[in-house]
Amino acid sequence: MNTSSIEAGPLAAAAAEPAARPAAGGGRPAGNRRQARRNTLIGWSFILPNFLGFLAFTLIPVIAAFGLAFMHWNSFSTPRWVGLENFRTMFASETFWIALRNTVVYTIGHVPLTLALALGLALLVNRKLKGIGLFRVAIFFPYITSLVAVAVVWNMLFNPESGPINQFLMWIGISDPPGWTSSTTWAMPAVIITSVWRDMGYYMVLYLAGLQAIPRELYEAAEVDGASAWQRFWNVTLPGLRPTTFFVVVMLTVASFKVFDLIVVMTEGGPGRSTTVLSQLIYREGILQGEFGYSSAISLVLFLLVLGVTVVQFRIQQRRER
Amino acid sequence: MKRRILSTASVLAVGALALTSCAGAAGTADDGGAEGRTPLTVSVWNYEGTPEFAALFDAYEAANPDIDIQPVDILADNYAEKVTTMLAGGDDTDVLTMKNVIDYSRFANRGQLEDISDVVADLPGDELAGLDAFELDGAYYAAPYRQDFWLLYYNKDLFDAAGVDYPEDMTWEEYEQVAEKIAAETDADGTYQHVWRSLVHSTAAAQSGGDLIGGDYGFLKDRYETALNLQDAGASLAWSTATSQQTGYGSMFETEKAAMVPMGTWYIAALLKAQNDGVADFDWGLAAMPQLESGGEVTTFGSPTSFAVNGNAAHSQEAREFIAWAAGEEGAAAIAEIGVVPALRTDAITEAYFGIDGMPGDDGSAAAFSPDVSALEMPVSELSSDVDQILTEEHQLIMSGEKSVDAGIADMEKRVKNEVLD
Repeated sequence: MNTSSIEAGPLAAAAAEPAARPAAGGGRPAGNRRQARRNTLIGWSFILPNFLGFLAFTLIPVIAAFGLAFMHWNSFSTPRWVGLENFRTMFASETFWIALRNTVVYTIGHVPLTLALALGLALLVNRKLKGIGLFRVAIFFPYITSLVAVAVVWNMLFNPESGPINQFLMWIGISDPPGWTSSTTWAMPAVIITSVWRDMGYYMVLYLAGLQAIPRELYEAAEVDGASAWQRFWNVTLPGLRPTTFFVVVMLTVASFKVFDLIVVMTEGGPGRSTTVLSQLIYREGILQGEFGYSSAISLVLFLLVLGVTVVQFRIQQRRER
Repeated sequence: MKRRILSTASVLAVGALALTSCAGAAGTADDGGAEGRTPLTVSVWNYEGTPEFAALFDAYEAANPDIDIQPVDILADNYAEKVTTMLAGGDDTDVLTMKNVIDYSRFANRGQLEDISDVVADLPGDELAGLDAFELDGAYYAAPYRQDFWLLYYNKDLFDAAGVDYPEDMTWEEYEQVAEKIAAETDADGTYQHVWRSLVHSTAAAQSGGDLIGGDYGFLKDRYETALNLQDAGASLAWSTATSQQTGYGSMFETEKAAMVPMGTWYIAALLKAQNDGVADFDWGLAAMPQLESGGEVTTFGSPTSFAVNGNAAHSQEAREFIAWAAGEEGAAAIAEIGVVPALRTDAITEAYFGIDGMPGDDGSAAAFSPDVSALEMPVSELSSDVDQILTEEHQLIMSGEKSVDAGIADMEKRVKNEVLD
């Protein structure tokens, strides 16, 4: 009931006849109820199109995936219940463990680096300066650039022989620069560097909003008390940014665990299996090989992993607030 | 009053949305053919960029005025996945183009395709290259209309500049020597070995009789050594560079950066186009793939493309007639005309093929067009795609120098046995 009246709110305003409502409803409880029901229906009609889409393309498939994880299904035959077989196959599969490890390594590299750079950049551009808007846009730009273009260009930069990165490394005296995307050791760092470059602008904008929400008076008071710039950052800025940092960390972690597109375009999980991640394995086993049960089982594990990490983050945040 | 109008309108809008979304799913099949002709739907990939489809369909419509072919265009990269999804949803597209035999065996084994053994029985089986690959337990569920195979493209101008005889009946050793000589004498690389594993794996399997899904891969060793020797000697672009630059084999040959390129016959049509557009301005020729020994049978590998009838087809009879036509003489002539290699091999077709403007006129090129054996690129089996994944991963490690040839082959054997065969 509550939600429906909220949903109907804008409509009532749009009807531009607010005065008519009490008059029509007064002294006629039956009419009132009908009115309320109509409001509910109207409210539903507003959320229904969106909700239907969500239901058909997100909620039902998600629930189905939970069930499919315990079945064998190739999208043609009727699903067959196999209990925990998919999970046994998964835990016995070397590729699964490699993909899991790669996903965790990517997350451990991607989250702190992006966080630190986004914060640093936000501090850098959070000042009144002529043309500062231009700098902010420049930093945000990678985020709205087509991912395929980003991946292709970075692949060229990382080219082991003729790429500018290795040319530079050789110029500063490193005689044996890394092979980047063609080396099992360096492919993951290459992917992480690219994704940090791409994502930092977006999180910088979030931090910028957070910075501007910190009251100026706090800084003034700290300055009067003789706090140094470092002390102001440590005791005013960082605590003021805590809600933003929490939000950024959660979003970044979830995004890192789900990484797929950049890796597919840059390395296709290679060389060998050195950059294969869980989402890719889910796609490969399900969409390419038609093993929807097995791929649902992997996605269930990924889901639990993300859920677990997020719950831990929320717990830590709650404890801090107390 | 206004509120009632608004609420009615919003309910209507929701209803309309729901209706249109249903209609969208059912819409395609019931569109009647133009002017009372029978519509025949055919699934294709990248219709604009794959001229063989339009050539076939136009010729068929001209010969059969009562049929209206309606291509169902699908992105080339996701073709198999999209068709799988369509079939799982009960789609009734009449003719399904099978991009390769692995997809074919999957669809056929899942009972999605009609048995068309009677159609195949009427085809000239001996002249239809690649037909054997489509037999599953004595029945046929598709008929090939196109059969690509691998041969060697070479740049006559660069061979002349280096003072090397044009290749003919080469062994792998000679191939290496020629490549190194050209690399030393000219600015170009001797050859360009594309990054795909099939160049190493499928040639080795075809020529030495190895089985790519068997779990024993010792037979790959010699071809790996050829590939690695070439790149170590600077006679071919390094695999790592080619991968990270996403080098195109076409641009390597057309811009004269490499004097030889082993590649499938599908490249001929693109090369002719590059020549017409003035991008490739040099004399080129075709030679057979290098062999283990000279003077013996010429063995290469390739893969047929075929048409199948959807088990759910709305016009099954018309679909069968189209498939018989496409695999036969007329269908072959229609695609040979535009530089695509038909599955049907007759002298008349080969002559027509080499009659295209821009094709090399020498005897060697025409001879290269008739290999003695064209094995399948990958055996047809339910396990093929799982094995393919493992072989591809290990191939990358060997070619990038992360693993020695022996260690890579040992890991292929171990992984295929542990993860797929048992």
